[in-house]
Amino acid sequence: MIIQIKDLHKYFGDLEVLKGINLEIEAGEVVVIIGASGSGKSTLLRCINKLEEITSGQIIVDGHDINGKDVNINEIRAETGMVFQQFNLFPHKTVLENVTLGPLKVRKMNSAEAKKIGLQLLEKVGLSEKANVYPAQLSGGQMQRVAIARSLALNPKVMLFDEPTSALDPELVGEVLEVMKQLANEGMTMIVVTHEMGFAREVADRVIFIDKGVIEEEGPPEQIFDNPQNERTKAFLAKVK
Amino acid sequence: MTDFDFKTEVIWESIPILMSGLKLTIIITASGLLIGFFLGAFFGLLKLIKFKPLRYIANIYIETIRGTPIMVQVMFIYFGLPMALGMRINPLTSAISAIAINSGAYIAEIVRGSVQSIDKGQTEAGRSIGLTRMQNMLYVVWPQAFRRMIPPLGNQFIISLKDTSLFVVIGVGELTRTGQEIIATNFRAFEVWTTVAIMYLCITFVISKALNFLEYRLGLR
Ligand SMILES: Nc1ncnc2c1ncn2[C@@H]1O[C@H](COP(=O)(O)OP(=O)(O)OP(=O)(O)O)[C@@H](O)[C@H]1O
Ligand SMILES: [Mg+2]
Repeated sequence: MIIQIKDLHKYFGDLEVLKGINLEIEAGEVVVIIGASGSGKSTLLRCINKLEEITSGQIIVDGHDINGKDVNINEIRAETGMVFQQFNLFPHKTVLENVTLGPLKVRKMNSAEAKKIGLQLLEKVGLSEKANVYPAQLSGGQMQRVAIARSLALNPKVMLFDEPTSALDPELVGEVLEVMKQLANEGMTMIVVTHEMGFAREVADRVIFIDKGVIEEEGPPEQIFDNPQNERTKAFLAKVK
Repeated sequence: MTDFDFKTEVIWESIPILMSGLKLTIIITASGLLIGFFLGAFFGLLKLIKFKPLRYIANIYIETIRGTPIMVQVMFIYFGLPMALGMRINPLTSAISAIAINSGAYIAEIVRGSVQSIDKGQTEAGRSIGLTRMQNMLYVVWPQAFRRMIPPLGNQFIISLKDTSLFVVIGVGELTRTGQEIIATNFRAFEVWTTVAIMYLCITFVISKALNFLEYRLGLR
């Protein structure tokens, strides 16, 4: 088990956003999280990457309680790659420099090693020829593929995706999903928040429906999409279809 | 009209002396601003730290300096401090310190504002790949913030340059002071102040252009 979440509660002030989440994810599993806006999907991912402090509960990533006192949070973060809706590439660095920053500064590789890994990953996401341009010269789909390569450069055990295609023009969505499919096929453990139901159906091992901070239903995609049990799941799916 | 006649030769005669004053003005401004930049970066970043007492320290410094005239500050350093310390501080050191401490307070606000203006997503991306807070500041936030600092810094550089003219009060031989001294001997106020003004203009022009160029170069990325 690579991720274990036990009775996770998260408040923003008086607002309880996550109301006791229990979740276990096996290595190599692809989990898609769906749910309405404001239901707490991003907050859950951000808690796993410790971008948010949890209020109570426990999150164990690869055997380490990430809120424990003795853990090095920078090491934990390097093990969980995060891909953001807004890409968040470093605009002052070239595409290759974006990808090699982690290997150089976090993994302490020398520049030759880092460059080799960086170029391999850019090749993997189909952007070798863009290595030396700046992010401003890329399309949204290309930026997101660079962002994925940047996370992969740390050789993480888990990849978290928070609506990776929501900021993209429709014609650019496919190229990003393609890279994610390839990753899934290679056995990467992935947690993906997305509204791309086609992707969920095709790639997910498990789909989780979150509503108002509670996991209302989970199961294989066929079950969730074709035969949902929960009334809220049914209502949500009726709306997005 | 009076029978005023503009004597060009006065200008040629004064230029060598004025140049030595200009040199001192540049030395005071450049050294003062260099130290001021480090002070400003230090206190500006201090203001961004969560730990409140450190923020208070930065605030006390910034508010004290911004709330008092630079002329009072330099006289305090040159005439006031020696009484308390029991040792003299020479005019040049006083002048450089005054520019450093004064510009530092304004630069601190520039640094704080620029760093805060960088999108939070940048920090989150940096931290998510495992960078420490320090590394994230150094490699992700600061380079982007620095670019945004350039225009307001240019403004501050020009203000500080002109502030050095107030240091006539402590008798440091900068450009304005040399102008005064020349006039005391030849009484050609019009020609001399014209020349002095043009010299200040040239320097501020060079500062503006240099910073525009730097901004353009960094902006190309
Ligand atoms: N930093 C914050 N401070 C206060 N409230 C927050 C903060 N971040 C999120 N919230 C609130 O928490 C709730 C859950 O937000 P979250 O972003 O996790 O939802 P989401 O499921 O990702 O929604 P979306 O589909 O719109 O991205 C929302 O009501 C939101 O307003
Ligand atoms: Mg969200």
